[in-house]
Order: sequence, then structure tokens, then C-alpha cells
Amino acid sequence: MPALNRLYRDYRDRVEFYVVYIEEAHPIDAWQLSANLTDDVLVATTRTADERYQVAGVCVTKLGIELPALVDEPDNRVERAYTAWPDRLYVIDRHGAIAHKSAAGPFGFKPADVEATLKRILEPAPEGTQGSLPH
Amino acid sequence: MRVRNPRRVMKWVLFGVLGLAGAYAVLFGVVLTAMLQTPGRFGQFMKRVPAGLVWGALPAPRMWLWARRGDLAPGAQAPDFTLPRHGGGGDRVTLSSYRDHRPVVLVFGSYT
Repeated sequence: MPALNRLYRDYRDRVEFYVVYIEEAHPIDAWQLSANLTDDVLVATTRTADERYQVAGVCVTKLGIELPALVDEPDNRVERAYTAWPDRLYVIDRHGAIAHKSAAGPFGFKPADVEATLKRILEPAPEGTQGSLPH
Repeated sequence: MRVRNPRRVMKWVLFGVLGLAGAYAVLFGVVLTAMLQTPGRFGQFMKRVPAGLVWGALPAPRMWLWARRGDLAPGAQAPDFTLPRHGGGGDRVTLSSYRDHRPVVLVFGSYT
């Protein structure tokens, strides 16, 4: 999370950032990880909008998330549309198109790729290069 | 020591190898099918299966990346949504409201 907080601080004047809180990856009633037991990270699957909203708050506080957070609906409609579980990163350009889609988490969760994309799409085209042919 | 019946030994070795290959193929198919289910169903599957068997015996990370590749491709229009903002006092945010204004970074995840 520190890498994303830093990205947020560096780019928030030009880019909108949102954490989208989705279905829990390792709740106590499903695939619980021993590391979460050790760290006392114990959360049940959220069934209602209120439950999800409440756990999203715990998530934001405990993980020290500085980004604004949205909360997916209990039917997981946004998670499904973006194949986002357990975690995933996207960059949407100013035309509403997908500029970067990470591989599925946890293996594909690489904030450095988000920064590389932001640098690319925020960079103005060099003057005099549009429409010119390579020599 | 002299092997009395080498052909018989070879037969049992062959059966053993084929049996192991069959068991591996079944495990591969079952786990990949589970990975293609909804997150909730996959979580219930992993609750019942030793994680070491999945992540140790199979090329599970590559299987996972393939199973969760999704339909959206770079360059495609991002699916629009409207979701409540945490701590926003009932505010809702619509992705398409930023179109023609600013890029948007979406960080999907959960607490666990």
C-alpha cells in the first residue's frame, strides 16, 4: 500500500484515484490464510451493503489507505465486470478507455506498471512529431 | 540380485507412471475448473483442498493468471459503474463522469 499512497500523492492533481473495495479474498468462512490468523486479520464474507461498508472502513484504516474508497455492491457487479478478485490494477485514460490492466492479483499487482502508464498517457506529444514519417 | 521377470517389472513401472500422470491430469483439471468459478466458489474449494497440493504440485500461478485473464482488453471502453463512496455521506461516484477530464486509477482489493 505505501507504493500506491505515494503514487496518489504524486499524481492526484492530474489523475483521479479510487480504491474499489470488493469481495474478501480470504474470509474466515472460506479460504482463510494462516498468516491472517497470526496477524489477527479475521473478517467474514460480507453479505449486505452495510456489512461491506463497515469492513471497507476497517480495511482503509488498518491498511493506512490514503486513496478515496468506493464499495462494490453485494452482488459483486463491478468485480465481475473487471475480473478484479482478489486484487487488480487498472488505469482508465481520459477518453474512458483501458490504458493499463494488470494481470490478476496477487501475482500481477504491480504499482510500478501503473506509474509507467501514467507517465505515458500524461506526457504531451512532442511538438512537430504528429503526422511526420520516420526517416 | 537378479530380476526374475524384467518384463513384469517394466509393466508395473509403466502402470505406476501412467497412474501418476493420470492423477496429475485429474488434479490439474479439477483445480483449473475451480479457478474458473466465481471467487466465492473458488474460496469454498480452497477451504477444502490443501493449499500445498495446489500451489506446490501444479503450475498454479500460471493457471491462475490464465483463469482470471478476464474479457477486458487494453484499448476497450472501461465498463461504467456508479458506486457509493466510503465516508462520503451517501455520495456516489460514476466512472464516466471523468471522461474527457482526467484519467482514473482503479485499485481493486479487500482487507484479507
